[in-house]
Amino acid sequence: MLQTIGGTALGDFRDRVRRPVYAVTLLAAVVLGYLAVPDAQARFVILNIGGYRGVYDSAYVGTATALAAALWLTLGGFYVVRGAIEHDERTGVGRLVAATPLRTPAYLAAKFLSNVMVLGSMVGVLAATAAVMQFTRAEDRAIDPIALLTPFVVIALPMVAATAAAALLFETLPLLRGGIGNVGWFFVWLTVAVGGLSARAPVDVLGAQHVIRAFRATMTEQGIWKRHSSFSLGLTQEPEPLKSFPWGGLPLTAEFLGGRALLVVAALLVALLPALWFTRFDPARGGFRLTPRQTPATEPELPPAPAYRGLPATPPAYGNTFGRLLAGELTIIVREATAWWWLGAAILAAVGLAVPSGSVAPVALPLAWVWPVLLWSKLGTRHQSDGMESLIGAYPAPHRRLLAEWTAGLAVTALLGLTPLVRMAASGDTPGMTAWLGGALLIPSLALAAGTLTRTPRLFQALYPALWYCAFNGLAPLDFMGAVRDGDTPAGPHPLAVTALAGSLLALTLLTASARGSALLTRHA
Amino acid sequence: MLELIDVTKDYKGGKRAVDGMTMRLGPGMLGLLGPNGAGKSSLMRIAATITRPTSGKVLFDGVDVVARPDALRRHLGYLPQDFGAHPNLTAREFLSYLAAAKGMSARSSKARIAELLETVNLTEAARRPLGRYSGGMLRRVGIAQALLADPRVIIVDEPTAGLDPQERVRFRTMLADLAADRVVMLSTHIVSDIESVASDIAVVAGGRLLRRGTPGELLNLARGRVWELLVSPAEADAVRMGHVVSRMVRTAEGVRMRVISDAPPSRDAVPAAPDLEDVYLGLVHPHPSHASGGFR
Repeated sequence: MLQTIGGTALGDFRDRVRRPVYAVTLLAAVVLGYLAVPDAQARFVILNIGGYRGVYDSAYVGTATALAAALWLTLGGFYVVRGAIEHDERTGVGRLVAATPLRTPAYLAAKFLSNVMVLGSMVGVLAATAAVMQFTRAEDRAIDPIALLTPFVVIALPMVAATAAAALLFETLPLLRGGIGNVGWFFVWLTVAVGGLSARAPVDVLGAQHVIRAFRATMTEQGIWKRHSSFSLGLTQEPEPLKSFPWGGLPLTAEFLGGRALLVVAALLVALLPALWFTRFDPARGGFRLTPRQTPATEPELPPAPAYRGLPATPPAYGNTFGRLLAGELTIIVREATAWWWLGAAILAAVGLAVPSGSVAPVALPLAWVWPVLLWSKLGTRHQSDGMESLIGAYPAPHRRLLAEWTAGLAVTALLGLTPLVRMAASGDTPGMTAWLGGALLIPSLALAAGTLTRTPRLFQALYPALWYCAFNGLAPLDFMGAVRDGDTPAGPHPLAVTALAGSLLALTLLTASARGSALLTRHA
Repeated sequence: MLELIDVTKDYKGGKRAVDGMTMRLGPGMLGLLGPNGAGKSSLMRIAATITRPTSGKVLFDGVDVVARPDALRRHLGYLPQDFGAHPNLTAREFLSYLAAAKGMSARSSKARIAELLETVNLTEAARRPLGRYSGGMLRRVGIAQALLADPRVIIVDEPTAGLDPQERVRFRTMLADLAADRVVMLSTHIVSDIESVASDIAVVAGGRLLRRGTPGELLNLARGRVWELLVSPAEADAVRMGHVVSRMVRTAEGVRMRVISDAPPSRDAVPAAPDLEDVYLGLVHPHPSHASGGFR
């Protein structure tokens, strides 16, 4: 059994590491490793302990990098490993596997193990980068492999296991399988990983509380821990470079190790839980989502015409078709929205009309502009996801189609933001209206660029909620819609800068389509 | 009208799918015949402006369509081997969207879509979302979209996959009709599809053009090289080891075999009239252990 699981997981892992995106994820791990050990004079930091950091020795570099990995791989890694089962469905491998004696729990265990291997390889790259960074920063060049690697094993790997299990669980639940799961994971991560940094958090999922206590004990001994000292993990900009202190290393208590082991066991159980409902790619049992081409006909097949009666008599005529292309794109978007979605949109429109004028920009507009995130995320990806690339690739004027798609995205954005705009106009909030316009242009541009570049909605589904959350929570530099106010005026970037960014993203999309246009199907060789 | 000149396509990893092919196509139907992996689909995609060739030229009315693909795309009807459709659109909406993408005016596209839906017998299902279509019905939508703009060049890749026998016959008749004054390029590995409609056949394998000619010219290659014989089951294995066998049927009397060989494979072998399948096998699968039996 273990041999079967290992063999299946290894085959899956090999398939994944041979995809080009894997190299990109490893590169991202290197960048994260670089950011985790910044230059002594740097103002940006990942780890800040009351204005201090540890001296760059193996224990501190390993711990800081492992914490960064635990935090960021939990977010980004989810999107990296998501799709393991969907890939089997799309390629038809799932149906082949379903016809073998491989039991469902073993299949799920193999997928879980493969997810762990992919994320684990990123952790491995981070550990190697940490060693290089310690040597490069040259505060203590003596590399202690045990001190360096232990934090990766006890902090990062259990989080990797939890992420791998969550990705698998989400894939097997119909509601969380698609975009809702992608967007939802950001908020799960926000609650569990970021919320877990708080001293009041009930469970230390990340392992950060244990590290904070260890830092605090050492700093108290050295007399540098102040009553109001705080801890931050993420990526922040500080007014001045952090001071350093020598740190003894991560204490491995039984309680801490037991907690980490418990997390791994829980992850394994979560990964195996879908065995209760996973239907092994059987559509008759409401199985995994089928691609449009494989959807069984639910209505009777129409017979062919009894005889061929000749070609159409009407000759084709040509004209300006942008309006009809736009109508087509809008129809595609509108048909994807359910009645519940429209009800939600109507409620948000009512909220836009009902809230006090002071809450229109900070509350009503952000709420309206997060609701269509799943519709926006499909921009630039629909032809690919619906299997139409080979067909549409032979049609003229691809840029015109892209512009129609962008305009349809803009129309959805404008529609959802309409009542806040009307309220701003009624109250004479011209700066707010200008910021609204910048935001309305940026959102479809970002969605189309993300979709065209990656051919999947996943990047936008991961990126936009984070951006939106920052703006909604008052982070002015990232406020693209004018939600953060300084008095009566938006405190975020100038609307012209937002518009310029939107224009650049649209130009990038068109350039990408041009560069790629003639080689759409090379992978089908 | 359409020219492919010394076209080569190399994919990542060094795989050469198309190796210096040159073809000139005028009105009429060119049947592209070859085994799976022969490079047919790559060549079709290059001709349809979807894939950029690594080297070589594709000219349409003298215009380089690698540099200016829209020159061909406006006059092209392309039916790929595999394709999907937006599942929430109806056939009429889908074709209307594609007609707009072609640049067709609203009035003419509306009339042509109605006529094309009638042609492929989907009028009754025109309001049904495509997600509820069967594979065969979706294929018919694909045929309709290929004919939307009354194309001068029609490229169809394995077009009869998923069609039932009656529909296959209808589609072949339609292609033959279209080929009267248009360039039609049809690829398949089903010999009977080509045999019944193509006046010009190109056999490709390993990315290379092995032979091109009329059915009569290709049949001449195999004349006097096709044999039929009846052997015991034990002898059948020996014959198979040494020759290209195009057909083999076990009967009560023994194993009836059809063999491609320069010389009679046995004293009892009798010459047979060749068909295109014999030619195809002789060209594509020359027996490695036998000096004769291949037409290359």
